[in-house]
Amino acid sequence: MGETVGNLIGLNDEVIHPAATLAVEAHNSQSKQFLVKKIKIRHDHSSVVVLAFSGSMFPDDWLGQPPFGKTKIDTGKFPSLTSLNDGGDAVVNGSFLGRFNGVLDKLSHDKELKKAIEKKRQVVFSGYSSAGPIAILATLYFLENRTLSPRCLTFGSPLLGDRIFGHALRREGWSDYFTHFVMKYDIIPRIMLSPSSTEHAQILNYFKSKFDRKNINPAPPSGFYLTVMGNASSVASYEACHLMGCRNPSLDIIKSFIELSPYRPSGTYVFCTGNGNLLVVKNPNAVLQILIHCTELGESNTAEVEKRSLDEHSAYLSELKECLGMQAVVSLDGGPATATLNDLGLSPQAMLCLQAAEEFENRRSRNLEKIGKYLEKIEVELEMLRKYKENAQISGLGYYDSFKLQNEDDDFRANVRRLELAGMWDEIKEMLKEFELPDEFEKKREIIDLGTKYRRLVEPLDIANFYRHSKDKETGAYVIGGGPRPKRYRFTQRWLEHQEKKPFGSRSESLFWADVEQLGIDIKKKGYLQEIKDRIHQLERNMIAWIDVDKSLDKDVLLEKTTFVKWWRDLPIECKSESERIEKLIGEKAAGV
Amino acid sequence: MERRRMNQVPLFSSAGELANMVITSNLIDVALANIPELQRGQAALHRSVQHMVYQPTPNRTIVVFASSPDSTQCPLPQGGYLVPYPDFDFLCTKECSSVSINGAALNLFESLKNHLSGLKTELIARDGQLIITGHSLGGSVASLFTLYLLDSMNKRSKCCPICITFGSPLIGDFGLQHSQWNSFFLHVVSNRDPVPGLFLPSSHTQTTAYKPFGTYLLCSELGCACFDDPDLILKLLRVISSEVAGGLLQVVDYGEILRHLKKRAICKGPRLAGERFADPFSAGIVMELETIGIDPTKLLQHNIDIRRMEAKARSLANKTKAFDAKKLNDIKKYMALLEWYKKKSKDAGKGYYDCFKKGEFKRDISIGEFMGHLNAYWEDMVAQADRKPQKEGASFRTSWLFAGTTYRRMVEPLDIALFYEGGGRDYINSKRSQHYKLLEQWYEEAVKPPTREELDSKKQKVSVLLTEDSCFWAHVEEAILSCKSLTNANSTPELRESSWNNLVKFGEYVMEQIENYAVSPEIFLKDSCFMTWWREYKAYIASPSNPCSLRFIEFIDFMKTGRYGVYGRSEVP
Repeated sequence: MGETVGNLIGLNDEVIHPAATLAVEAHNSQSKQFLVKKIKIRHDHSSVVVLAFSGSMFPDDWLGQPPFGKTKIDTGKFPSLTSLNDGGDAVVNGSFLGRFNGVLDKLSHDKELKKAIEKKRQVVFSGYSSAGPIAILATLYFLENRTLSPRCLTFGSPLLGDRIFGHALRREGWSDYFTHFVMKYDIIPRIMLSPSSTEHAQILNYFKSKFDRKNINPAPPSGFYLTVMGNASSVASYEACHLMGCRNPSLDIIKSFIELSPYRPSGTYVFCTGNGNLLVVKNPNAVLQILIHCTELGESNTAEVEKRSLDEHSAYLSELKECLGMQAVVSLDGGPATATLNDLGLSPQAMLCLQAAEEFENRRSRNLEKIGKYLEKIEVELEMLRKYKENAQISGLGYYDSFKLQNEDDDFRANVRRLELAGMWDEIKEMLKEFELPDEFEKKREIIDLGTKYRRLVEPLDIANFYRHSKDKETGAYVIGGGPRPKRYRFTQRWLEHQEKKPFGSRSESLFWADVEQLGIDIKKKGYLQEIKDRIHQLERNMIAWIDVDKSLDKDVLLEKTTFVKWWRDLPIECKSESERIEKLIGEKAAGV
Repeated sequence: MERRRMNQVPLFSSAGELANMVITSNLIDVALANIPELQRGQAALHRSVQHMVYQPTPNRTIVVFASSPDSTQCPLPQGGYLVPYPDFDFLCTKECSSVSINGAALNLFESLKNHLSGLKTELIARDGQLIITGHSLGGSVASLFTLYLLDSMNKRSKCCPICITFGSPLIGDFGLQHSQWNSFFLHVVSNRDPVPGLFLPSSHTQTTAYKPFGTYLLCSELGCACFDDPDLILKLLRVISSEVAGGLLQVVDYGEILRHLKKRAICKGPRLAGERFADPFSAGIVMELETIGIDPTKLLQHNIDIRRMEAKARSLANKTKAFDAKKLNDIKKYMALLEWYKKKSKDAGKGYYDCFKKGEFKRDISIGEFMGHLNAYWEDMVAQADRKPQKEGASFRTSWLFAGTTYRRMVEPLDIALFYEGGGRDYINSKRSQHYKLLEQWYEEAVKPPTREELDSKKQKVSVLLTEDSCFWAHVEEAILSCKSLTNANSTPELRESSWNNLVKFGEYVMEQIENYAVSPEIFLKDSCFMTWWREYKAYIASPSNPCSLRFIEFIDFMKTGRYGVYGRSEVP
């Protein structure tokens, strides 16, 4: 013990309760979209600016299109919220995204916020209930823009994004900036795990009339609990099956017959156990399991639990006041802490789920360790291939053409190395697709660098192999969307583009040879159509930029005996647009400049 | 033992979670919803079985089968007999060469079959979810109908079926363990229901021909768990049927049971809080078995071995997609290494077959190792395909048949070389591995003979192609042996005659291969076994010989005139 929530989430404790108070006040504010308040920290006299959003309990503001109102995130505003390995863009609740877009203009012109940014004050976006997702999106928006590094605090917030959303947050290293307080029985943090239904509307309408204060004591709805928690429990069990390594092939078939919510928790969760203790959990799989299982024990009477699930949504301020004073805080990281878990009241089955969630993280660490050993091997193989390339250059042919001919022992050895490397990178690729490596893997500088080095050096060999065996006749061109180009190159290219904040597909220098080969084939088939001419011009411009500007393409493509130079020199003069410049480059290469 | 386990990665059993996912969703409610209604109508109609099609939403169709209570209860205890049913031979696998179905279920199914073939065609054409369901014998008919439907589906079918039965008895002696079809079946069984285990002998020492397939969701009033291991399911069904009091056939209300369980899954009520588990797998399994009403102290008595289950789970856990990806690239690597060996041999003026046979290169040692990896991989792939029901196996293997054929043509000659070098005789009939035979058979079934143009393009490329008949060298080796018998002064006249005939057949065979551009020109390299044989044979047939077929004469001419020297050279017109 001895830890405080603030320590665990990286924020001064004095901020939390005022932020919650402001969040509740702002939520029910009809006139303002958000409230701003400056909080002085006693011990170091710094100030923290808290900005809390207003909410809405209109069912339409919660769920647009049934069953789950999901929509792809706008990657223009949120470029990082996507998967770098074929998983697609993050999915979020469209209604919440819409409400954020409605407040964004006012937010970016807010004077107090601007002042806080100028004075480099810590900014905290805060939201209670339906305002929670708005606070999350606002925080993300500023993190993406790098204008400031805000924190986010939510209280009783519904879930906002899917698995990719949480994965992207953790990959970017932002996950720790988000802290969500959840009361043990509160229905609202669980409600999005269930599809839109009359039960949903019942719950929201109840809170609406309660918050509007038109009706101080509205009659609570009943009969919703089994439906909502049933669906939520189904989601948790589905995820638990994965964590536990379920190999029953029926799992996928059954899943396709059940409408499972796409939404998953992300960020750090702080569970209020109800007796003054707080439990801090960062493992997103563990959060989901606790969200579902911590309500199971204690009451066998559904009506009783149902009532508490509503009441506790309004109890954050009083509960936090008590808990933050007591500071009985435990972190789950490093394994389930039995004592606090007992406060939550978890069944043995729930305990197994938590252990599986923990083991899943261990498995990812073990995989990382295994891949770590690969990285050394990859370096060695790449060094050998670099030497191969150097030697081939001395022979005047260049390694692309030498490899394509496969006449020498060295070419053959290079082919074996190519396959050796493909094996390791394909294994990495499959692990990433199954989320079997830590989320931040694709963001690690040394991994991106190695991936880029690998792609630039070895992809030409894959292309040579492809066209050597005329595989285009079976599968179509090497580069077509989702076509024969191996995913290990697609992925590594995407990592670099993401790191450099460049558009998807812009870092295609390793595809130079595929462009050359395919142009050769297409010219034979179609002749010099305008479309072909355009592609030639594009290729010339790209090549000059890659060789001259960012040095991402090696000059050995300019050797006089290469497929490229021979092909390019044979082109009719009217098809070339950079004739002089390229001849000059070829000349320089030949002269050894 | 404990120490060994501590070093191992902990495993989990997901049987309880999978069951929980099913019962907390509304899938079961949907499947059960229309059964009672149909059953009530049934009683009035006095028909033994009927079916009804519902479409609650545009994207979902439900087919319900209901059998009359009479047909469910009366004939059953004696109704365990199995009837061979050739109509379902599409379920045959390597292990199960004919299919038998429970007589009672089959009677009901057959009585409906005329109505069902139209329904089947209609359902397959639909785009969307299809739930096929039934209670007791109605569920058996639902299972049979689902199999019947699956057999007619193809890749273009958009219909996604699932079959959910409640308290249905076992229906047949075929297992679907190695088939994807297994995943389309979910059988719900209560521990109070004697019907599912009716046909099973009560003692676990007695065997039964019945085999369960699909996933079983077993439940008691305490909870539920899903299992898909057929042996375990059989054991559990036995325990359940032996423990149902007096074998009285009371009708079990599955709706009631499952509603109760759903509520229980969400509000368990006060109970002992959990502790951390040192051995999560066995803790999980014990809890799951207990929850479906199996006394954990009697596992030994029921012949249920948790350690063995764990070992099985562990071997499955190691087979991941990442692992497969690595393995596939390794296999490609070994093939590349062999290709290189072939090329190096050719550069030295020899065929790789001969090089390997004579063991001339230092690298020949590692060739044996590469062969070992490749053989192990392909034997496994072939065995997997062979265990699946015919049609599914066919689509599984077409995806890699091309790679398998290249492997066979590259590696089998090396196996042949080892065999004859070790003094073997008659490779094709006495030694040839089953997986080569199947690979060849599947290839022949899948590939049509080449057209004129294809033959022309083959002619251009023949110098880089592998010899098509992977047993070519076995034929050559046999020809060498025949030639020896022919020239041996001690041979009997009968042996001489049969050797002569064999050699004529061989000559015809080689000529046919040459005409089809099916052999690599490498066979004509100076020191190859084939040319060595030819030199010996040529000397012998220099003397006048018996009349022969045209093709044989053509062959002798082809060889004698040295035309083979230009075989495979693309510049020759």
